[in-house]
Amino acid sequence: MSGREHTGRGEAPREALRLENVGKVHGTDGNRVRALAGVSLRLAAGTFTAVMGPSGSGKSTLLQCAAGLDRPTEGRVFLAGAELAGRSEAALTRFRRERVGFVFQRFNLLPTLTVLQNVLLPAKLAGRRANRAAAADILARVGLGDRLHHLPAELSGGQQQRVAIARALVTAPDVVFADEPTGALDLRSARDVLALLSEAVRVHGRTVVMVTHDPVAASYADRVVFLADGALAGSLDAPTAEAVAERMTRLAAAVERGAAA
Amino acid sequence: MTGLALRSLRRRASAFTATFLAVFLGAALLMSFGAMLDVAGDATGTARNTLLTVGLVVGGWGLLLVAFAVTSTQSLAVRQRAEEIALLRSAGATPGQVARMIIAECLLVAVAGGVLAIVPGWALGHGVLALMHDGAMVPETVGYAFGPCALGVGLGVTFASALTGGVFAARRAVRGTTVASGDEAGGLGRGRIIAAAVLLAAASGEAVTTATVMRGKGLDAMATSGQADIVAALALALLAPALVGGAARALAGPLRALGAVGDLVLAGLARRSRRLAAVVLPIILFTGIGIGTLHLQATENAASAGRAASADDRSVEVLNLVVIGMIILFAAIMLVNTLVAAVADRRREFGQQRLAGAAPGQVLAAVAVESAVLAALGIAAGTVASAFTSVPFAVARTGSALPAGGPLIFVGVAALAVVLTGGTAWLAARRALRAPAVAAVA
Ligand SMILES: Nc1ncnc2c1ncn2[C@@H]1O[C@H](COP(=O)(O)OP(=O)(O)O)[C@@H](O)[C@H]1O
Ligand SMILES: [Mg+2]
Repeated sequence: MSGREHTGRGEAPREALRLENVGKVHGTDGNRVRALAGVSLRLAAGTFTAVMGPSGSGKSTLLQCAAGLDRPTEGRVFLAGAELAGRSEAALTRFRRERVGFVFQRFNLLPTLTVLQNVLLPAKLAGRRANRAAAADILARVGLGDRLHHLPAELSGGQQQRVAIARALVTAPDVVFADEPTGALDLRSARDVLALLSEAVRVHGRTVVMVTHDPVAASYADRVVFLADGALAGSLDAPTAEAVAERMTRLAAAVERGAAA
Repeated sequence: MTGLALRSLRRRASAFTATFLAVFLGAALLMSFGAMLDVAGDATGTARNTLLTVGLVVGGWGLLLVAFAVTSTQSLAVRQRAEEIALLRSAGATPGQVARMIIAECLLVAVAGGVLAIVPGWALGHGVLALMHDGAMVPETVGYAFGPCALGVGLGVTFASALTGGVFAARRAVRGTTVASGDEAGGLGRGRIIAAAVLLAAASGEAVTTATVMRGKGLDAMATSGQADIVAALALALLAPALVGGAARALAGPLRALGAVGDLVLAGLARRSRRLAAVVLPIILFTGIGIGTLHLQATENAASAGRAASADDRSVEVLNLVVIGMIILFAAIMLVNTLVAAVADRRREFGQQRLAGAAPGQVLAAVAVESAVLAALGIAAGTVASAFTSVPFAVARTGSALPAGGPLIFVGVAALAVVLTGGTAWLAARRALRAPAVAAVA
């Protein structure tokens, strides 16, 4: 991949992700939960965006709809210019493995595969020749060059998450989605993980969208997008942890007032 | 802890279905033949001997089979819940409390299955006696009885197996680490190797006796050769984890050539050999007993082809086929049962594979390849076990080591095993794939 496109003066930034009026209702008749309503969002390539909001505000749903892991019930999603709608599960899988990387709170590494095998798997599943050198290289970059042949269970949580990041980055995806990637980690490991994600953006030109509830984690991003009750509730550019925390407090209070009314 | 066990049973009903079915069917089977011992109380002479023989011999085989099925499904259920058990322990449950909970769960399932089996067991025993009446092996004047022997054997064996299985599973669950590890391969325990060696020695002893002492003794050879295949199948079933590990090493090359799907299968075979051995076990029993007994009967039919079959021969044949039919049916149900439990439990694993980029078709392909390997392994071991019955009996009855019946018996039983294994795994996997990948790993 050519990597990032620096946005020169007057030149429109390349778009990595676009959501148009996306809505999502979970469940069927009788038991419906509206998780998202009318969300429109546009993210330029080479940016790091944090998504924040109270628990249950629809952050995970937003991420999954954007990543092609879930299908929105309304609206359209474009990933690197290609629309996700109307694809079969197999086609969506092919699309995801070429264009998207994921990092989850619970790592989701395959427990029977070694660290290196886990990182090689996406390419192999895509039927491409696995590039062991590139995989080993990226694992060295996340500080696990000496753990290639360990099983995930033999690593700490922070190390497992770094393997997951290596796996997400190795296919050079258009967008990396991370859902509370530091949620299960201690402070130090969390900082390592955040540093790796921002390095992916700043040095390697990837686009990262990260859900988090931690203002410090959000301060690593270029921009924070707030979500409340399934709808966008403003954003903050060049966020500091203090500004984010203050905004979250106000948001939680507003949601509570809304619920009480 | 009983309260906790009850609640855990209710929430995780699916994990216990396999054990429940094993207990229920096993107890019904044992009770029906145990009832022959009750019936024998009213009989005299040859009828009494026949009844006692049928009751004891079938009860003996059944006992081993049922004990095996119950223990293996139980350890599968506990293995599946490793994560939940680790959570309980990290929440402060002592190893003793966890062990008591697991044992209490096993016993609750055993009591439910055993008690519910009483009525079907009673009816089944009625059917067996009717067959013996028809074959004039037991006079019509000897009526049906279903009493202490039936209940004692049926409930006693299943409860004892459940308790033993529970104790083993509990010990394994609380030993060592509190986190599920990626590598569950591990070698065979010493107890397992000794048990397998003893069973193999017993099967060999029966085989040699049949081929030498019973040579030319006619139908009596059946008494010594009939259960050799069961004993040998049990011995090989005990060695199943090692067989799966061996298959992983032997097939590493060809599987790697299949690409990512092969890699997934290979990693599973190598690192989940114990879990997969639980699936191979019923395949070995099914094919071993099926092929062995059908060859035995075919050889007997060929040996007595010259003369007109007596009523005795016919009733022996019918009884033989009924008994074997029931045992094979039991093994087949166990096979389906175990597979459904084993596959349903892998929802999370399938979800993880899909999140790593596997299309649903690739997950299914991995399941299909894995099933093929396990079926082939089970059939190979089962065929070896069957030879412990069929070859010595052929020597004793016809003087030739080649049993009658031709290749069709092997082909038929093997095909059935493949269809049962592949079909069940395929359907269970498709079901497990229905949920979205992110929901499956949640
Ligand atoms: N699969 C689902 N079925 C039904 N409701 C769901 C499902 N997933 C999420 N929800 C509901 O949708 C809302 C948003 O959930 P989620 O996106 O997980 O929020 P967040 O990640 O911000 O905590 C919540 O009310 C949640 O209960
Ligand atoms: Mg969430």
